[in-house]
Amino acid sequence: MSFFQLENVTFGYDTGSGPVVRDFSLRMEQGEIVGILGSSGCGKSTLLRLIAGLEAPAGGRILIAGKVLVDPRQFVEPEHRGVGMIFQDYALFPHLTVEQNILFGLHRLTKREREQRLGEMLSLVQMEGYGKRYPHELSGGQQQRVAFARALAPRPAILLMDEPFSNLDADLKKKIREDLKQLLRHAHITTILVTHDKEDAETICDRIIRLAR
Amino acid sequence: MTGAALRRSLKRKWNGWVALSVTGAVLALLPSLYILLGLFARTTENWQHIQEYMLLDYALQSLLLVLGTVSCTIVVGVSLAWLVAAYDFPLRRFFSFAFVLPLAIPPYIAAYTYGNMLSYTGSIQTFLRNEWGLAPDQRYFDIMSMKGAIFIFTLFLFPYVYLIAKTFMEKQSAAFIENALLLGKNSLHIFWRIVLPLSQAAIAGGASLVAFEVLNDFGVTKHFGIQSFTAAIFKTWFGMYDVDSAIRLAAWLMSLIIGIFVVERLVRRRKKFSSPTNRMTPLRRRKLKGLSKYAVLCFCVAVAALSFFIPVAQLAVWATWTYKEVLNDVFVQLLTNTLLISCISITLLMILAVTVANVIRYSRTSVFSLVMTRLISMGYSIPGAVLSIGVLAVVISLDKELAPLYAWLGFAEGKLVISMSLFMLIFAYIIRFLAVGYNAVEAGFEKTGNRYAEASRLLGMGMTRTFFKVDLPLIKGAVITGFILVFMEIVKELPLTLLLRPYNFETLATKAYQYASDEQIHQASIPSLLIIGVGIVSVYFYHWLGERQAK
Repeated sequence: MSFFQLENVTFGYDTGSGPVVRDFSLRMEQGEIVGILGSSGCGKSTLLRLIAGLEAPAGGRILIAGKVLVDPRQFVEPEHRGVGMIFQDYALFPHLTVEQNILFGLHRLTKREREQRLGEMLSLVQMEGYGKRYPHELSGGQQQRVAFARALAPRPAILLMDEPFSNLDADLKKKIREDLKQLLRHAHITTILVTHDKEDAETICDRIIRLAR
Repeated sequence: MTGAALRRSLKRKWNGWVALSVTGAVLALLPSLYILLGLFARTTENWQHIQEYMLLDYALQSLLLVLGTVSCTIVVGVSLAWLVAAYDFPLRRFFSFAFVLPLAIPPYIAAYTYGNMLSYTGSIQTFLRNEWGLAPDQRYFDIMSMKGAIFIFTLFLFPYVYLIAKTFMEKQSAAFIENALLLGKNSLHIFWRIVLPLSQAAIAGGASLVAFEVLNDFGVTKHFGIQSFTAAIFKTWFGMYDVDSAIRLAAWLMSLIIGIFVVERLVRRRKKFSSPTNRMTPLRRRKLKGLSKYAVLCFCVAVAALSFFIPVAQLAVWATWTYKEVLNDVFVQLLTNTLLISCISITLLMILAVTVANVIRYSRTSVFSLVMTRLISMGYSIPGAVLSIGVLAVVISLDKELAPLYAWLGFAEGKLVISMSLFMLIFAYIIRFLAVGYNAVEAGFEKTGNRYAEASRLLGMGMTRTFFKVDLPLIKGAVITGFILVFMEIVKELPLTLLLRPYNFETLATKAYQYASDEQIHQASIPSLLIIGVGIVSVYFYHWLGERQAK
């Protein structure tokens, strides 16, 4: 059995314009990095929201490590899913510092474990010394790294990334893409990356799925 | 949806937040429901009398008042909005703010200020007699009439139209106007053929607010002795002691208001013009020169003076005459009462507003959300007099239900506990102004978006912890804004306070009103000035927020 499974997932918004996602199935092994490629409006971000539990599918089921996240009878709330997500605009809490952002998801650990994990994450993304800064005092690339550290800190079972490069300048993008690839390999984490840029997906991912409209 | 899926969805969505929201909305609906049921109740003997001798007259008077005020406010509000939005003239920025200030003065305070100023012994006639030896015809000074009421309402309610129209003209119409200019049209033509039709929906929005305010009024019509619909309700209630008939009248008034609401919607339905591009170039103002510059300046000075500076100056003069007599222990008690009741009500109101907004933000377009927002906003469009009857009826019947409990607790038989307490007034304030607080909070949530909350959920925080750790710090400003706006509304609210307060409980507004109706108008000046002061702070806050959003 695969580590992560989506089976016949279907979803449509209330507005009645027909399903955005229809009978979508996907299997992934642990540590695999899968890219989902498609033009805007094809439902790729919706797919991530379904996995994260921010939307409820009309049909189908999602399993992770044998545990059901959602099926027609059950629905695990996003806070209990163990899914990490990096949002398109990173959504770093503007009222918290870099440290506080990363510590945010570590509330279940003891104080010592928290401090230790914080140190690990800051060094993983090479942001030591930036802990006391606020998000608006960082560059786009730095913000992305903090978002990455924040999502990874609670050790999620799977990491979801929604267009991680869309907010970056073109010349920065190439370098950051390489960095991210290294980070992901280092962390050895199962990842789904959604993008409209073929090159992004080809650089980073083990496998690419194309979504048609 | 299958049964299992429905159960899953219910389980997923039902929590403390939703439960509290639904309870709040149902409670807010209760008084209105009670009143509308009055339409189906059996009529009393009085009803025939009311129908024959009062109903038509009073309805016509109210209609005249509303139509007169609405047309005058549209003329004044739209022309000022256009002048401020499209032209540059001396003191333009000052006027842009000064025209909002009348909102700080409740019309009932304006009514008795002008009423006294223009009376035979008032400052204007005294001045004319003593300084210039003139004894003009009293008819020129007869403000205690329908015309006078329209005059007062227009001066102090036109900012609603002005504000909405100005915002629209500044933001939306630039491209169209510039095109029209390039096509060689002159300003007047542009105003009539382009700006006015485009602003139609915005103007209708402002005008309907004015109509609601006029129908809600109690102080002005009472002081001027105009037989409005609200007056009829009071006459039946307190003159004939016929609560059933009063409820029936209130129900008719409410139907009228629902009617206005529908008409406004119909006018606006297909007229929501907005430029197809997101790029909004602000309107370039044209400099006025020569005669037109001075004409515009005179007009603006006249409106600003009449609608704010003259009445405030007059009140200030009266305050210097009476402060020794008015400022005493009783006055301190008055202040404490006002602050106490406002703070309790606003705290409860904002908790409910924030809860509902936090529930609705996740599914804005769903039927549930639409119904909730409608229910929440309803209280604001119901006139205070109508709402107070509804609340009173609900609370009295609640007291009756609880009678066995009271007996068990050892109270005397037939004692009304809740209806004699502050609870009733607080309940009414919350229903009436929930929309004000809710809109402020909602704007805050809309600006922040859902992504921070979603990020927090994915980092393992539940809805409640997310709210306190992420949402609340981010919408703090919006909550404070809501607090201040509701505070202004409660401090100046007259009919609700007057009708639902416990015996001998006086606030600034009721005391000012009491002085004025006891012909002690000079004494009313100090509480009035305080109310206006709170109003100015809120208006300034509002203006500042608007300017900041515009940037």
